[in-house]
Amino acid sequence: MTNPAAEIAYREDVELRLRADRSTARPVLFVFALAIFWLLVGSVFGVIASIKLHLPDWLVRQQWLTFGIVRTAHLDVMAYGWASLAMIGVALWTFPRLLHVELLWPRVAMVGAVSWNIGLVVGVALLLQGRNNGMEWLELDRYYSVPFLVLGGACVAASLIRTLIARRAPHLYVSVWYIVGAFIWFPIIYVAGNWPTLKGVESASTNWFYAHNALGLWFAPICLAAIYYFMPKVLGRPIHSYQLSLLGFWTLAFFYALNGMHHLIGGPIPTWMITTSIVASVLMVIPVVAVAVNHHMTMIGRFGALRYSPTLRFIVVGAIAYTAVSLQGSFTALREVNRITHFTHWTVAHAHVGAYAFVTLALFGAIYYIMPRITRREWPSAALIKWHFWLVLIGISIYVIALTIAGLFQGLALLDPGTPFQVSVERTIWALWSRSFAGVMLTAGHIVFAINFFLMTRGPEPAWRIPPLHEVQPVIYRGDDEVAP
Amino acid sequence: MIPYSIIVAITGLLLGLAAIAAFVWAWSRGAFENIDDQARVIFEPRDLRLLRPWETQAQQEERRKLYGELIEPAPGEWGGGE
Repeated sequence: MTNPAAEIAYREDVELRLRADRSTARPVLFVFALAIFWLLVGSVFGVIASIKLHLPDWLVRQQWLTFGIVRTAHLDVMAYGWASLAMIGVALWTFPRLLHVELLWPRVAMVGAVSWNIGLVVGVALLLQGRNNGMEWLELDRYYSVPFLVLGGACVAASLIRTLIARRAPHLYVSVWYIVGAFIWFPIIYVAGNWPTLKGVESASTNWFYAHNALGLWFAPICLAAIYYFMPKVLGRPIHSYQLSLLGFWTLAFFYALNGMHHLIGGPIPTWMITTSIVASVLMVIPVVAVAVNHHMTMIGRFGALRYSPTLRFIVVGAIAYTAVSLQGSFTALREVNRITHFTHWTVAHAHVGAYAFVTLALFGAIYYIMPRITRREWPSAALIKWHFWLVLIGISIYVIALTIAGLFQGLALLDPGTPFQVSVERTIWALWSRSFAGVMLTAGHIVFAINFFLMTRGPEPAWRIPPLHEVQPVIYRGDDEVAP
Repeated sequence: MIPYSIIVAITGLLLGLAAIAAFVWAWSRGAFENIDDQARVIFEPRDLRLLRPWETQAQQEERRKLYGELIEPAPGEWGGGE
């Protein structure tokens, strides 16, 4: 760099970036470690629940290992343990970078993470004893568990908002909008969902209002924020159309909140609510296509980068899954389709395209980028990264394809009055075995990921070496001027 | 009919109104101006000038034109030399 002024500006920029990373290192490492712990716990619950569907006499002597409890524990551990904590870590790390400032109130964020985990431990312990709120996605006990979660989320949000107020960045990048939106939306929907006085039909409608918005207004925004940050950053080129990215965010903000009622098509709730929800679901095509076109046009001609960057591999699959699950969701919301697919394995497959192929893979990609920058070490094993990627990619593909096909067979059989119910079950057995096989593959992938994570954080001082898969650039490197852009 | 759905209706409205308010606020604060600068706020000059091994000759030329002379990867970056 020959221009002295530019050199000074550059070094200041780098110094700022290093300070931002240092300020987030401890809380982010803490929540990632806990998130991965919950990922392993949730995976075991998931596999047990899956196997029970085709081997119903397996593990039936203990109450806490019965299907209703294990399946619920799987959902809540994955949603609030793994995904939410990993998202909190991603938000805490990206925010200071995006706002060109250090993370403020990091201890408050740490207290928040601790509180969140206390709530989760208490909630899961009560779940295993058979005590829950009786509403899907809202099972954690509203008196002994939820207050800790609310306090934890509030503390993390306080740290993020304080950092936002102190920002030095001249502009708010689209990822900031998504993250801020998520931290405003989530408390509103969570409190509404847990409102204790609701009964009967009203409770059901609020339940699905929450459950669907949890994906669209909590999980999706932060994962989209990650994709919008890491994809251009790795490729070294701005997002294809920034206007489209803003369109995607604002249309999500306007249309998404009313989507949830399509889960109750055919149920005893007012028709206007269902119809409004179907319209809102179809309108979601706008933000989804905006995001999909933007991601694709940013990547086009540069898919060779997937060979170099593990982050990009996971992020790109996650982005594709976002498009797939959203368009499938709009399609499934139509009454004619819902009539066949509702109450079938199709819905389970759909949920896993969203919660796993989109959310979880995007989070894996983000963690692969973030960890070297907060630990100042490289990932110890490129081979383990490859194993992780292929195990989870093949696993989730088997899972989704098998259950989607089986769901259609099951739905058609259920609608046929001449077909006994038993037949609708028997037609899905092959898919249930496939799901268990896929679940074992996914769990193996998670174990591989956890081993690599553990080795990275607890291993000996790293000898500097070529990053695995020629890791994401800009990767940390050592020289006279140590830089972690 | 309405009383049985009042929580969802109110919360849905609240979220919609909050989105509109945020949109108006963002507009008034210039969030939709200087779009190109916003898109580049995540980068520093080195990010955009660094040679990427997967890029074609034409893509590298485009990068050079947009962001200036390209920088060779440092040791360890993209599997560059030791």
